[in-house]
Amino acid sequence: MAKDAVGYALTALNRLASSEVLDKMGMRKSVERLAYTLTKSGFQVITTTARTFKSSKPGSKPERLNAPGHTRDLFDLGITDEQQMIRDSVQAFASEVLREQAEHADAAQKTSDEVLAQAQELGLNFFAVPEALGGAATERSTVTSMLVAEDLACGDMGQAVAILAPMGVANALTQWGTALQQDKYLSSFAEENPPKATIAVCEPRPLFDPMELQTTARKNGDTYVINGEKSLVPLAGEAELFLVAAQAEDGPAVFIIEGGSEGFTVGEDPSMGVRASAQRPLTLDNVRVPAENRLGNGDFDYRAFVDLGTLAWCALAIGTCQSVLDYVGPYCNERTAFGEPISHRQSVAFMIADMAIELDAMRMLTYRAVCRAEQGKSFQRETHLARTLVKDKAMKIGTDGVQLLGGHGFTKEYPVERWYRDLRAVGVAFGGLHL
Amino acid sequence: MKVLVPIKRVVDYNVKVRVKADNTGVDLANVKMAMNPFCEIAVEEAVRLKEKGVVTEIVAVSIGPKTAQEQLRTAMALGADRSILVETDEDVQPLGIAKALKAIVDEEKPELVILGKQAIDGDNNQTGQMLAALTGMPQGTFASEVNVADGKVKVTREIDGGLQTVELTLPAVVTTDLRLNEPRYASLPNIMKAKKKPLDTKTAADLGVDLTPRVTTVSVEAPAERQAGIIVGSVDELVEKLKNEAKVI
Repeated sequence: MAKDAVGYALTALNRLASSEVLDKMGMRKSVERLAYTLTKSGFQVITTTARTFKSSKPGSKPERLNAPGHTRDLFDLGITDEQQMIRDSVQAFASEVLREQAEHADAAQKTSDEVLAQAQELGLNFFAVPEALGGAATERSTVTSMLVAEDLACGDMGQAVAILAPMGVANALTQWGTALQQDKYLSSFAEENPPKATIAVCEPRPLFDPMELQTTARKNGDTYVINGEKSLVPLAGEAELFLVAAQAEDGPAVFIIEGGSEGFTVGEDPSMGVRASAQRPLTLDNVRVPAENRLGNGDFDYRAFVDLGTLAWCALAIGTCQSVLDYVGPYCNERTAFGEPISHRQSVAFMIADMAIELDAMRMLTYRAVCRAEQGKSFQRETHLARTLVKDKAMKIGTDGVQLLGGHGFTKEYPVERWYRDLRAVGVAFGGLHL
Repeated sequence: MKVLVPIKRVVDYNVKVRVKADNTGVDLANVKMAMNPFCEIAVEEAVRLKEKGVVTEIVAVSIGPKTAQEQLRTAMALGADRSILVETDEDVQPLGIAKALKAIVDEEKPELVILGKQAIDGDNNQTGQMLAALTGMPQGTFASEVNVADGKVKVTREIDGGLQTVELTLPAVVTTDLRLNEPRYASLPNIMKAKKKPLDTKTAADLGVDLTPRVTTVSVEAPAERQAGIIVGSVDELVEKLKNEAKVI
């Protein structure tokens, strides 16, 4: 049989091989090779039937290949025991305190002092300050900061922003501040009652690009004179310390400004989401800042400063999306319509599956960017990819969360409408935070 | 004053446990483990006593698998000064644990042992009492308030129909009830410091204790599922069902 088949094939190929059409089309070589390999494998089919398999001495156990000793090379998303303990502690705080207070804080446009005091007990501020300055940090821990942001946002994004904004200022001072700036401002974050602080980057105009700031910083002798408008500044009304991004003559820069400086006006909170962080606009009218308060004083990477803020927002979005996903699963399994749980409908089940897939994709991209930042590698490209995906998919997950709850989703009795509003912040937020 | 706080690694209280298909126990594969909540309360109470200046050293101890190190680290992150793990892969039972704890007590000579009234996995509520019996120390169980002063400990106990206050001479054993305190969250700096605190590992043989289980588990079964309620059409139907189906009237 096999011989016959090979025979037929050969005849057909030989006829083809001698055809003149092939020469015209420049295909002769490949057809000849095909004829050769076909005959070769044809004969192999015949010979392999004659092979005898011998058993030597069987071992007592099958041989399996173990994982390589170190698995931290290509793809390892494992976290250290210490990070796991930090997550356990932060997650408990987020679910027991932040989630409980979320509705109230959203309506009051304020994170309550009790919540802030409890957050204080977690010691996030000490964690952001190096050991030499009275803190507890011994090495850069961008990844841990990201995990903390994600877990806090799983409780409530608004309060998470209020808790994290001062930590962002401390992180930025640790990463970029001069010795003088660290001594004056950073060490106060390692005290029992750390200052309320925030970062102002956003400006109120269409298609805002953080690389092209309209707020200006004009150098005048030993001082900078800052003019402009900032928007979506968390805790703007009560912060004692601000990091404000402004365009200097030699490019974008960030200035350390103390709260209550002359020429500083804070507006009303106009935002629909993350309301517990009291994001407000800020007007700077001829605010004078000593030249030594320019962050880093020349040794500064503005792009990385903005990107670390963006990544913090990505982490928050991931946390909030996780709470949406955790909520809609059980809801759709319990909610019945037409005599069965609505999750039996594919239109519902597919939506939830998409959420899970997109959420993991957001995680992978964000984790990768943050890991590179921690390792001191370039992370601009990775940050851009992460933000582009997160701002689209986070909003979609927010919308779908409301959709899956049907009429309930539209009411304030369920948290999905708040998550929907919070998740829309990610598309417009720049700055405010820093990992 | 030294306090010994025995803790247990159990399935996290948020986890919905599943019974293994062969009914030999609960499925522990890929299940989140945590410190027993009553043990957390015990650690918190010890830390509060230390903050008050009554206690000078807190020693956490656990008897269980190597992975119970995680819970000991948590105890140290919450404020314990050092910890001891008695490593065993046996299914340890209250009597075995109490014997091992007695050996530790003989070694460490603590003036107070604070432990959870029970673990949420076995719900035995025996270890504290057995330890008190084996060591001959007085016991104050189900504590909702603990006051240490002048070589004595006053324990307010939650009992049926009210509260009972007992006074024990130190050294003593106290077991914690739910309302004794609300444990704190481990702070990030303390979690980092916990890594540097000492954790000794021992075996049952080191202590000269026999941990062999004395009780055999015959079968573990999930509770029967409750049947859904029904809406009756009329009072007559209700009476009829109460009489004939529920047989209560």
